[in-house]
Amino acid sequence: MASSKNKILRIAVVVLRVLLGGIFVYAGYVKLSDPWQLFAAGIADYEIVPLWAAKFLARTLPWFEVLVGLLLIAGRWLFRTSSVSISLLLLVFFSLMVRAFVGGKEINCGCFGPNELISWKTLVRDGSLLLAALIVTFAAFRSRRIPTA
Amino acid sequence: MIKIIALLVATLLPCLAATPEQEKGKTMGNPAAPLLLELYSDFSCPACKHLHEAVLPAIVLDYVKSGKAFLVFREFPLNIAAHKYSRQAAALAVAAGRIGKYQTVNDILFRNQLAWGASGKVMESVMPVLTPDEQKKVRALVNDPSVIADVQSDVERGTSSRISQTPTIVVTYKLRQQPWTQFEDYSLFRGYLDGLLKK
Repeated sequence: MASSKNKILRIAVVVLRVLLGGIFVYAGYVKLSDPWQLFAAGIADYEIVPLWAAKFLARTLPWFEVLVGLLLIAGRWLFRTSSVSISLLLLVFFSLMVRAFVGGKEINCGCFGPNELISWKTLVRDGSLLLAALIVTFAAFRSRRIPTA
Repeated sequence: MIKIIALLVATLLPCLAATPEQEKGKTMGNPAAPLLLELYSDFSCPACKHLHEAVLPAIVLDYVKSGKAFLVFREFPLNIAAHKYSRQAAALAVAAGRIGKYQTVNDILFRNQLAWGASGKVMESVMPVLTPDEQKKVRALVNDPSVIADVQSDVERGTSSRISQTPTIVVTYKLRQQPWTQFEDYSLFRGYLDGLLKK
């Protein structure tokens, strides 16, 4: 019984891991398919970092999203590092979105490319992704063996 | 063969005709340019004044005059207390556009933004740039229902394009629309447009 429960949990973690990884690869790809200045403008709209930092982030973050996404899908190398990275990224993204939403800013989320204003819908979606990332991270540190597909 | 040519001519003729915006004098550049830039402004907005006076000349020089972009001016008076004369100013600009004076009135409205914003004398602030005959025509047109409707039509168009602030330039390239609001650094916008044109 316990073994069957463990197996189900293990499969659930693998599914979450692959889903999260895929979502990150997609998010990075969408940003990379547009001129980087569009994402830089989106970051600048949050009014958190100076413009030079927004430009730097816009040129590097999408590549990092693709990389950690791929590592998370593979689940064999740097699984703990990639799951922690994704959790931290989502924690930062989610906090910034909540801050903007509470502050009444009508700006684009910048999550999956342009034209998506921050709303309850985007908050629930990113909150769910953060929860999933925390579950995967917890599983990564709990299990001795790395769960693979 | 003649029938095919006649059919092609009939199909293409409407494309050669002036767009409604051109007829209203609210455009710059070549309508067949690859980029369409729709500038949504509020005459009471300080950021719009900055864009109009400091950034727009560069956009016109780099993209409109070079034939890369077609620029359309759109009215987006915000419904906030501090901008209570915005709609009146927008109607005045649209009315001036009907007699081919949109740019002249556009310039003077932004130049005197603080003065008419405080006094409410919007009409008086633009009169010096119009001849007596033009003044008469603009005064007659400013309350015309079709002018009011034009302003409202721009507002509705902006709302449907998900405009949430002014100034916003809606960039259309290969049928894809993208609102742009970041004008702090012109090189960012220029890089974006150049990136699109290379795609």
